[in-house]
Amino acid sequence: MRKPYQICLPILLICLVPAVASAQSFRVQCPTSTLTHPVAANNNSEPAYTAPTTFTTGANGYPVPSANVNGAIKCQQVSGGDGYATMADGTQTFMFSFGPLSGLADIANGLPGTGFPQDFNTLYSGTLQPGDPATTEGVSANSWPTWSATAPLLPLGAFTYNGAVGLTPDADAMADGLCTAPCLDGHVDPRQILDIGVMNGNIPAPLVAFDEDDEMFLTLTNVGMIMRPDLFEQHTIHFHGYPNASSFYDGVPDASVAINIGGSFTYYYFAPDAGTYFWHCHITPPEHLQMGMVGQLYVRPRQNRVQVNNSLYASLQAQQNDLRTACRRPNDGGTPAVTTAPDILCANPLPAATNSVTQKLDKLGNPQKYAYNDGDGSTAYDTEYALQIHGFDPNFHFVGMTFNPENFATMKDKYFLLNGRSYPDTVTPGPLATQSSDGRTHFSQPLPSIINIPLGGKALLRIADLDVSEYQTLASLGIPMNEIGFNAKLLRDQAGNNLNFYTNSITLGGGESLDVILDASDTVKYPSGSVFYLYTPNLDHLSNDAENFGGLMTEVHIN
Amino acid sequence: MSAKREAMRVTNVKKTILVTRLLLALTVALLLTATAYAAAPGITGPSFSLTAQTAFLNQPDGSMVYSWGYGCATPPTGYAPTLQSQNCPSMQVPGPTLIVTEGQPVTVSLTNGLPTAAGNTSILFPGFTVTSTGGVAGLLTQEAAPGATVTYSFIASTPGTHAYYSGTQGDLQIEMGLYGAIIVLPSAVPANCTAGVYATSNRKAASSASLAHLGVTETDFRLSQAAYDHPGTCYDREYLFQWAEMDPNIHRQALAQVTAIAAAGGCTAGAPGCSLQVSTEPYHPSYFLINGRSMPDLMDANFAPEYPHQPYNGNPHMHPGEQVLIRTIGQGRWQHPFHEHGNHVRILGRDGNLILSQSDPTLLAGLLMFNTDTTPGQAFDGIFYWTGRGLNWDPYAHNPKSTDPNALLTCTPDANGYNTGAPLAINYYEWCQDHNKPLQVAPFGDVASGGPATLPDANILTNGAWYGGSPYLGPDASVRATGPTSALQPTNTQANPSNERGFAFMWHSHNEREITTNNVFPGGMLMMMLVDSREFVIDESN
Repeated sequence: MRKPYQICLPILLICLVPAVASAQSFRVQCPTSTLTHPVAANNNSEPAYTAPTTFTTGANGYPVPSANVNGAIKCQQVSGGDGYATMADGTQTFMFSFGPLSGLADIANGLPGTGFPQDFNTLYSGTLQPGDPATTEGVSANSWPTWSATAPLLPLGAFTYNGAVGLTPDADAMADGLCTAPCLDGHVDPRQILDIGVMNGNIPAPLVAFDEDDEMFLTLTNVGMIMRPDLFEQHTIHFHGYPNASSFYDGVPDASVAINIGGSFTYYYFAPDAGTYFWHCHITPPEHLQMGMVGQLYVRPRQNRVQVNNSLYASLQAQQNDLRTACRRPNDGGTPAVTTAPDILCANPLPAATNSVTQKLDKLGNPQKYAYNDGDGSTAYDTEYALQIHGFDPNFHFVGMTFNPENFATMKDKYFLLNGRSYPDTVTPGPLATQSSDGRTHFSQPLPSIINIPLGGKALLRIADLDVSEYQTLASLGIPMNEIGFNAKLLRDQAGNNLNFYTNSITLGGGESLDVILDASDTVKYPSGSVFYLYTPNLDHLSNDAENFGGLMTEVHIN
Repeated sequence: MSAKREAMRVTNVKKTILVTRLLLALTVALLLTATAYAAAPGITGPSFSLTAQTAFLNQPDGSMVYSWGYGCATPPTGYAPTLQSQNCPSMQVPGPTLIVTEGQPVTVSLTNGLPTAAGNTSILFPGFTVTSTGGVAGLLTQEAAPGATVTYSFIASTPGTHAYYSGTQGDLQIEMGLYGAIIVLPSAVPANCTAGVYATSNRKAASSASLAHLGVTETDFRLSQAAYDHPGTCYDREYLFQWAEMDPNIHRQALAQVTAIAAAGGCTAGAPGCSLQVSTEPYHPSYFLINGRSMPDLMDANFAPEYPHQPYNGNPHMHPGEQVLIRTIGQGRWQHPFHEHGNHVRILGRDGNLILSQSDPTLLAGLLMFNTDTTPGQAFDGIFYWTGRGLNWDPYAHNPKSTDPNALLTCTPDANGYNTGAPLAINYYEWCQDHNKPLQVAPFGDVASGGPATLPDANILTNGAWYGGSPYLGPDASVRATGPTSALQPTNTQANPSNERGFAFMWHSHNEREITTNNVFPGGMLMMMLVDSREFVIDESN
């Protein structure tokens, strides 16, 4: 005979379901203005950087901006749940994973899913279908159209929606007179979120990118893991490397809050110093990271926003006038002169010597972009790639899908991944699609890992290693790597000397990132059409499980 | 019941067991460790008399692992800093931390108390010029034969943190636990390290013992005030972390062979068959240790009686604005990416070699890292701090509209933007640009409104054991944010109690598999750094 709790518990769970659903625990947040960015009309683009924001003490006793408001507001929504990815040997692998719930078109195009308020607070004109954008694009299972190698864009262009999935006018608030149409206050329709979010995991997790001086609202919506309904797993977001983090928004469940299934939580970040960071779930990290809850994140420097023909050095000098961004040293020429040593954790002081480098246009005709506020142009690049090194242990993933106890001590990765792909999938342009157990095709691995450098140009590789079991090495056959940043900091000493160096390989442990520039400006050595390789000299990592071929390797193309 | 259902049930039961075990472990830990902080304890010399002996180490899964370690042959000259229950057992892992001063002649005598079949043993002191007396010639250094003694002498030539470890059959002897640390203090502390904010922070020079703070005293547990003879290396607090992994199969083999030889009547050193044939490959570690312990034991007190041979803990605490010296050594055979949540770490030097700018040696050139790799045999010194700068909201939840005097504290920026003019204030070292800035759009408690973020219904969230109960730092701000009943919140029963409510940051190996203990998460190389507001007294005495 069944014990009473065996009967009562399921009944109780069934009763809880409608209660949870009616509590409207899914929400998004993307204010059009804040006390830091007070003018809504200015928050949908990045203003040029001319000088630091100045403050005055407002009526509420705290500093409010009085002039030169820099940065804007950025928002993004991601799901925490599960999904499937396709390994290079054809194996469909189960994952615990994040998926996009905003910026869907951008994510499918290999771009960050981060948007301004006007992008995020946009309603979809039709009804989103499970599997979108692949469904609307007509991508059928295990086949996908040909993509352009140089500018991978959704082939049919039918799906261009980048707003927040589920966003809908708040009828209750309007009825109560609290809000006027369209009243997009973060209220969502959970049906759309579940239609899109369930079984929609990505590896890597959706790309996040924003700019210094931005306020970032990153909403995590826990849609549950439909393949593991027994687990009731919470999820969190850990912004790895965020300096002076608050433990509240640090995403460590032990030190803060974790987000239950059926709930949304919006992480608020004031943009930290520019650099290559990353993000991941921090619930049972050896499990959730191995299972795939790892994503890329970078912050662009304000030097990108210097107007063409203006001095980069002067821009960095101007940044010394805001104590938040200052990195002063004695005799650095700044006013007022300082006598004390630099803050021990500041990374980008003024260059050791003045220079006359100015902002220009890059090889593609856009304003030159930089990895850091270098003040000397030393981190300039023409094209950038977020590259995530990771490893999957197929046994662990199979056990994780089939309700068996996991074993950490014997964890052994057999797939070695660059942006969730092993060679030869690494050289496939466009998103990889996988048919999940819901019968729908999903863009499971949207971030390309083939490197395309414009002729005579420079590519910034923002490399992060999220492997949970061992160190990994990535080598460049051909173009040397110019390592210019490490762990989201410019490689520069306190006296302003650049400490960048050339190497043909980099080694990272789990949870580490660095920046290298592949400089192809010598068009004699690196002519149009030439192909080079990034691969791992950990030779046992050049394999796809049982295939003695593939693994951690991709191609660099000079276009 | 279908097989699938059965499997689900088993998994759930397993999870339940894990959670129960964790809670039990936490509860036990808490009962024993009302105040259990870290410091960098060790013994003073400059003459040290050590033995190498055997004992069993405690692991949180309940196993007792046969190990070898260095210990005190005779009571040490002294201890530094002075801690409760301090002792130097006959064997410990890691070995006693030897604390000496730059320029001192150091003498270490080592008596081999290992089983005869283990053969000779020795100590290497990388980075120092060592002369040996006694012992027998070994491959790398003079060794002590079973029962015999060898003496090593060297000048403590370079300040900083250094490793020492066995120079004999290292793949076995270091794995078994024969490693430790030497801390060389600079011979002269740069003047700036005892002036300015370093004088007005909670701790002054060790000689002045303590500084009154909000009616209480907080004792200084530093070994020095600077890591090197360099004005860029001042620090306010220090911790030593030695990282190593352990494959219990190797230890089982060693124990079985030692036991078998003893059961057969023992053997004579050097005689045929009087040796161990322990296979150290393939290597499958399942214990991942910091200071010889795994989480949660790691966060128990120094010299806790449950771990008679693992006296050193890892339970770092700090106040905002303090510069924390992290002394770290990789003592195993693997590298481990040591991820410090909360902020970056500036590497000062490696193996006692300070890294300075090539163009201006008054300035530093070590890397800034959020993952400080621990590398076998290598030590590094690094500086960590946390101030909350750049959050764009006030972590102290100051609120000009409150009537609580702590909500009305002022913030007067110094040249760097910090509130350093009021060393006795709760918000000493607050980042003034965010002073009074609200976080929440419409908060529940007595904190300011008008901020950018809306917090969800707390019922959709699960609170962690170290969660202070609100987004804010410290008891006063947390109580104001959550209302007068917050004293009843679950956080009060947990690892970050109601009088602390610090910001907890996980410091751990980011090869995440290593934050397990023999397949159980959490465990292994994991500890929490608590950043405590100055309402809370950090007592590192145990």
